[in-house]
Amino acid sequence: MEISLNQIKKKSFKSLLAVVLLAFIIVLPIIALFVISVGFDTTNFFYFADYLLLDYTLSTLYLLVLTIFFSFLFGVVPAWFISTSKFKGRRLYDLLLYLPLAIPTYIMAFSYGDILSFSGPFQSFIRDFIPSLTTFVNQDYLQIEVLSILLAFSLYPYLYAACRISFTLIGNNYINLSKNLGLNELKTFFKIGIPLSLPAIFSAIFLISMEVLNEYGAVSYFGVNTYTSGIFRAWGSMADMETASLLAILLFLVVSFFFLIERWITNKYNYNFKSNSDLSPNFKNSNKKLVLIHVTSVIIILAAFIVPIIYMINNIIVDFDNIDLFDVFKLSKNTIFISFIASVLIVLVVLFIQYVKRISNSKVLNFIGEIISLTYALPGAVIGISIILLFAPVNDSLGFLLIGSIPVLVYAYFIRYMAVAVSPILTSFRKHPKKLDDAGKSIGLKPFQFFRKIFIPLNKNAIIIAFCICFVDIMKDLPLTLILRPFNFDTLATQTYEYAIEEMITKSSIYSLTIIIFGVILLSILSIKQLKK
Amino acid sequence: MKKITLIVKFIFFVLIIMSCENNQKSNEINIYSQRHYAVDELQYENFTKMTGIKVNVTKANADELIQRLKIEGSSSSADLFITVDVGKLWQAGDMGLLQKIEDETITSNIKKEFLDSNNFWVPLTFRSRIIVYSKDRVDVNELDSYESLADKKWENRLLIRSSSNSYNQALMSSIIANNGSKVAEQWSSNIVSNLARDPKGNDRDQVKAIAAGQGDLAVVNSYYIGLLLSSEKEDELNAGNSVGVFFPNQGIDQSGAHINVSGIALTKNSPNKENALKLIAYLTSSVAQQTYVDNTYEYSVNTEIEPNEIVKKWGDFRKDNLDLNMLGVKRNEAIRIFDKTGWK
Repeated sequence: MEISLNQIKKKSFKSLLAVVLLAFIIVLPIIALFVISVGFDTTNFFYFADYLLLDYTLSTLYLLVLTIFFSFLFGVVPAWFISTSKFKGRRLYDLLLYLPLAIPTYIMAFSYGDILSFSGPFQSFIRDFIPSLTTFVNQDYLQIEVLSILLAFSLYPYLYAACRISFTLIGNNYINLSKNLGLNELKTFFKIGIPLSLPAIFSAIFLISMEVLNEYGAVSYFGVNTYTSGIFRAWGSMADMETASLLAILLFLVVSFFFLIERWITNKYNYNFKSNSDLSPNFKNSNKKLVLIHVTSVIIILAAFIVPIIYMINNIIVDFDNIDLFDVFKLSKNTIFISFIASVLIVLVVLFIQYVKRISNSKVLNFIGEIISLTYALPGAVIGISIILLFAPVNDSLGFLLIGSIPVLVYAYFIRYMAVAVSPILTSFRKHPKKLDDAGKSIGLKPFQFFRKIFIPLNKNAIIIAFCICFVDIMKDLPLTLILRPFNFDTLATQTYEYAIEEMITKSSIYSLTIIIFGVILLSILSIKQLKK
Repeated sequence: MKKITLIVKFIFFVLIIMSCENNQKSNEINIYSQRHYAVDELQYENFTKMTGIKVNVTKANADELIQRLKIEGSSSSADLFITVDVGKLWQAGDMGLLQKIEDETITSNIKKEFLDSNNFWVPLTFRSRIIVYSKDRVDVNELDSYESLADKKWENRLLIRSSSNSYNQALMSSIIANNGSKVAEQWSSNIVSNLARDPKGNDRDQVKAIAAGQGDLAVVNSYYIGLLLSSEKEDELNAGNSVGVFFPNQGIDQSGAHINVSGIALTKNSPNKENALKLIAYLTSSVAQQTYVDNTYEYSVNTEIEPNEIVKKWGDFRKDNLDLNMLGVKRNEAIRIFDKTGWK
């Protein structure tokens, strides 16, 4: 017995070392950024601070607050109804409400920009059929408030998904208790549903904020200057990479701060309630409430999903003669290939790190587990440049190029999207009691036998979910792919973007619709798995 | 589990193979390009058919590509760098990322006024930044120059996109170069107070906003009007038709209409220099220039090629004969003026 325990420890030590090494590889780009922004000429930075920083920061905050507000409205409310009430069409709504996640934010913004514009279908329709409303709808829709709604359209599913799980897990005991205490459904929602779901809500809000901060195409189109626009202005217009890095690091530090708060809240509230087995929805539905449920769900699904899809299909029909289906096929192949490889790697590494973290129970590892998620806090383009910085010396010494090769691109995805896979896997791990590990040991399984025979099957759903989310996110990725891709390597996302910024939105539709179709397939799998959970 | 191990091994195998595949081969050219119009691919295909030289392209925005060229240094596999703003070409030259092109077969294709005085870049096409105006609400006689857009009479009527856009940065650079920075700063601040709305959207959106009555005149690149007028969507066509085209600064004592160049440059460490020069010669030849003109509604830099029919209708115009490199030289100053005067 003594010997076998030692063996386990030895093995754990090796795995520990592997985790530390992996973590190092993951945070390398951040280190590179720190290195170049140390001790440079700060004139531009102070100029930036004098003229632009306040303005950019304020509009970023305003955009964030609005986007979070609308995401909350579109995500949390339907999640509550669908988790706690029984009604016809519930399953269909549940599936459809996930799907807008498949539409990249920039596509949502460009599409609606065109739909709502003076020469777009919406205003044309009004002019032709309801002329009395013509002046009323003839507005400038490129406003920060409109942008925040559009961003919320494609980002609310993060909140929806998180709340869906959390509301379901609260189960009937608490809800019955609240009913017995005389609270109506609205009060139950605010006094039980929301407080018990705070950790889930906070982590979803964190993800949404990161996406908003990473957004560049849509915000610049809407003429909104966010902090990220500032990074690009320093880098592009002022041609000052150092100032851009410093701005990125500042952003990184601020985000890290909020990230730690988020983690703190999650840990503080996480085990305050006992999830229970009676999960069936049980609120009674008055007719009024049923109308409310259907109206809210249908409006959200229509606006965030059906309308943009119809718009794209219409574009495709208009432009059908000019579509190169072979090209669409080729780019789909590229997109799937690269997203698949990167997602598999990410899921495996996350599984490994989380598992070692669990069996070793060490504080250092906990810390490492937290910091690797932080890479998500950097805008994609910044990660892209820091990776070029990292690999340039390697290029020089090897004499051939790694930058612009598939492996480096995969490495970039790996760093950027790691955090996306962490949360489902971590949540699922936490559900299995420690006793399970001891039971495994006592029947003589070695740590990795145990991992493979018990843990992987037990967490299969979470693994599939993590894979799907990663895949969808990588498929939509723009900044990393643009700057790090090999020659002649286009993905559906880059092609969509190129057409969109060249103001040929019609031509971009076939590519964006293809992204969405793949996304929808994966998200449907995800949603079905989630239901089984 | 065995399956998983197998998948992982397979993935690593593929990745290793792919990282080796990336080495340079002969009879190829590698381009870093900011241009991503469909016509560019067509040009490269035609070139490959003619010469058997394969053309590889990475497309991203100019600043990212410059950064990448700079960091990659001597190990870069890029031969050519293409942008849609001459300021970026000047910047790349200034940063020592380019080598001079002194090739008679190329320069003889091109009108003299477009050639780079330092030989660091070769123009492919040019476009003018013009004024478009509502045919209903603006009398063409009211229009004069970029400078006159600062007049009080345009208050709440002017539309233009953001100062992050390099076309506007180039325009501001030309105003600084022509009039000095004091005048430019005053001009910028007056422009901002004349704006009908905050700068936003792309050039086409400015035209649509005129059609929608949100403003009366806008500053846009010429070819966007060509694209609108050739659109298959009726509403876009109507938007294009609702505006008139005006080339500013045509008076005898005025500078001429601002133009910008989309151009190509040879990188300092170009591994396939000979082939790269062949491509430049092809792209500036009259065959390729005709293809540009017909597809993108840009103007040709070739001595022999006339503009597309749609563009021709707007008539001939006098171009600003400022040294095009000034559009890069004055860039930093232009950004500062934008920021100081609150041009978002």
